[in-house]
Amino acid sequence: MYSMKWPESAPMRGGLEAVIGAVSDVAERSFFAMVESCDGDRFAELTAAHRDWLSASVSFDEPGCAGMVTCHLPMLLAERLFDAFTGRDPDEPPADVAEVHDLVGEFANMICGSWLTRAANDRTFTLGRPEVRPSAEPVAGGLSLVVDEQPCVVAVAFTRVPEAVTSR
Amino acid sequence: MRILIVDDSAMMRKMIRRVFALVDVPIDEIHEAGNGAEAMEVLDLHDIDVLLTDINMPVMTGTELLREIARQPRWRHMRRVIISTDGSAARRDEAAGLDVRCYLEKPFSPEVIRDVLNEVA
Repeated sequence: MYSMKWPESAPMRGGLEAVIGAVSDVAERSFFAMVESCDGDRFAELTAAHRDWLSASVSFDEPGCAGMVTCHLPMLLAERLFDAFTGRDPDEPPADVAEVHDLVGEFANMICGSWLTRAANDRTFTLGRPEVRPSAEPVAGGLSLVVDEQPCVVAVAFTRVPEAVTSR
Repeated sequence: MRILIVDDSAMMRKMIRRVFALVDVPIDEIHEAGNGAEAMEVLDLHDIDVLLTDINMPVMTGTELLREIARQPRWRHMRRVIISTDGSAARRDEAAGLDVRCYLEKPFSPEVIRDVLNEVA
């Protein structure tokens, strides 16, 4: 289910497919997790099972273009990603909240960087420090994906795009 | 071999440390820094052989750190590796002028870190 709007003037190649490719690449290579798309009904069902969510945002900026990539995921998925990333044994103490936030921030950071490398390889973006906060539910308007059987929303929002192109 | 890991994500530093534990390369010391400025403090105190640094970090970026290192003859021997989410051609060109041995793009598998360490060791 892809409901994200994409500005025509955005100087990125590959559209939403580049975003999906970045999420899949990051999830599989660093977190050993599988990514699937899913229909709205299934996604709603998966989403309803979670009350505690995290939202991680990473800004990107260069003279012609700026915006933000945000990942919304349930705490359960965040903890699973943490275990996969760090190789935590079941016998070890669980991650504390600060560590999980750091990990989810890095997840968003890698997705943002991987997407920009695919979509705008000839440009040099500055990425902001990830901002992670708890939320009650995922926002609407992003890519609705399933990561290791858990819901995950990835949204790209542009705050600045080239003027010359937007005026077409 | 003395290694310095520079990344603003503590989890990324932890993951890299874990991989080092699996590598069949003699490692004497592993130091960590959360940004370029902290890395400079470590470099002033310790003789580092291999530097692995992220690019986008607060306070002092990896690019600024590498520029500073390139200016100092005493750090000429240090092998430098970039580990970054930014794999753009523009950023790689920039790194080429900073005497960087390897450019490692996140996400990466643990095996890639192992291979890089074997290569620079």
